Amino acid sequence: MCELFAMSSGQHYTAQEYLPLFADKSRANISGWGIGFFRNGQVYIEKSCEGIYAGDQVHDSFQRLARVIDSRVILSHIRCTKSGHQKESHAQPLTDRFLDHQWLFCFAGESKGGAAYVSPRPIIDEELLAARVFEFVRDDLLAQMADWPSQSLYQGLAVACKQLITRHPGEYTFFLANESVLFAFLNHAQVLVYHPPKLMGELLVLTTVAGGLTLDPDHWRRYANPDPSRGQILIISGADLLYLGHL
Amino acid sequence: MCDLFALCASQHYTAAASLPLFAVRGRQNVHGWGIGYFRRKQPVVEKSGEKVFQGGRLHGSFQRLARVVASPIILAHIRYKSSGQVDECHAHPFVLDFWGQSWIFAHNGKAPAIEPYVSRQAPALEAASDSARTFEFLRDRFVEAEPRRPSAPFLQVFKESLVQLIRQYPGQYNLLLTNGRFLWAFTNHRQLLLLKGSRKLEEALLLTTIEEGLSPENWQKIAAAEGTWGKILLLAGGDLVLTEDLEP
Repeated sequence: MCELFAMSSGQHYTAQEYLPLFADKSRANISGWGIGFFRNGQVYIEKSCEGIYAGDQVHDSFQRLARVIDSRVILSHIRCTKSGHQKESHAQPLTDRFLDHQWLFCFAGESKGGAAYVSPRPIIDEELLAARVFEFVRDDLLAQMADWPSQSLYQGLAVACKQLITRHPGEYTFFLANESVLFAFLNHAQVLVYHPPKLMGELLVLTTVAGGLTLDPDHWRRYANPDPSRGQILIISGADLLYLGHL
Repeated sequence: MCDLFALCASQHYTAAASLPLFAVRGRQNVHGWGIGYFRRKQPVVEKSGEKVFQGGRLHGSFQRLARVVASPIILAHIRYKSSGQVDECHAHPFVLDFWGQSWIFAHNGKAPAIEPYVSRQAPALEAASDSARTFEFLRDRFVEAEPRRPSAPFLQVFKESLVQLIRQYPGQYNLLLTNGRFLWAFTNHRQLLLLKGSRKLEEALLLTTIEEGLSPENWQKIAAAEGTWGKILLLAGGDLVLTEDLEP
């Protein structure tokens, strides 16, 4: 199963303490990796189809990027091929522009029906479940906002997620972020949220890696979702979990 | 009655078009004004006890600040006193720290019941008004809830605090609270008006309590639903991210 990582903070931080741990704990996934972040309102993505581990070392580029990238929002994905091939264009995060924002998206999960979704505006033309899920969520969110412009982003996203798991039952976990807000959706497994001790900075780290990334499990809060016909959405901005909504 | 204004965008923005209109349309509020925003994570507040509009002209400083202040979130308040003196210290917005960050706060409405409230936390705000005590009350609840952070989402603590506030100190509360990255708005009287993508003003998300809005456009009116204690809005990145009813 692919693994997801996100870091959100009130100011620019590097994830150099957490990304290598994320890589280490996801080393079984050998089909690529990616890091996405925001700088001056623009999205930047660095990704590779190579394994996150080469021998007993974290991929050299991943290590260097982890040290260098600083941003208020950093997303990362380590890939285990379930659909698509092992090539760089299939690595995540993915990005697209809609609703006046450039968005970053990364996904882990499985869905037979979801892969068949045909969007009027594909993000990439290749066969990739993550792209189909992103397109479905984007298209449905846009439809919601067009039909009812006064509703909140959360309401639109909640309806889109509900449609996703109803029309295409499956297991979905994704992070969707613009430069201000990070949404985390899950209808299976778990997302863990870490708020480090104060001296280590005002930030939140999220991951799908079981048990979290650090040796202080007490600082990890686990959000689990045993029933795939329902789901949860977390809203995060800066170092704050703002809202936890249940579908 | 005082009036509130906020601009919320994903990037730095000025409110050069909308702030002067806000002042003109809110000119019956004659007891001061204030503008608050964040610069490099630090709160900046410029305020005055003077009239925002006098002798047919906008206050010179207000006008200049409106042109110059640039931030993703800008708050403004025009005061008609219902409590406290008329001076700069009593003008809004106010600033307090909690949860490891600074917060800018502005309020309108009458809440005389909270005037005797004495905070156990430091610092206390210098102003002797219902608005200052309201902000301290909310700060105190967040300080008490800090050990639950981040397990308890911000909204949960905010709701608990507002329910306590209204239960213990019934009153009219329209308030804005921001840390520079996101903005919470609450209303339990009158209404809040929202507009995004204005063709006449800024394209950013605009919020005001001015009844007719700030332009002849389709302002969305948001008020407390019947049977609830109020409506909470979350604004960030130029979007209305969330709306929630405050249930008794």
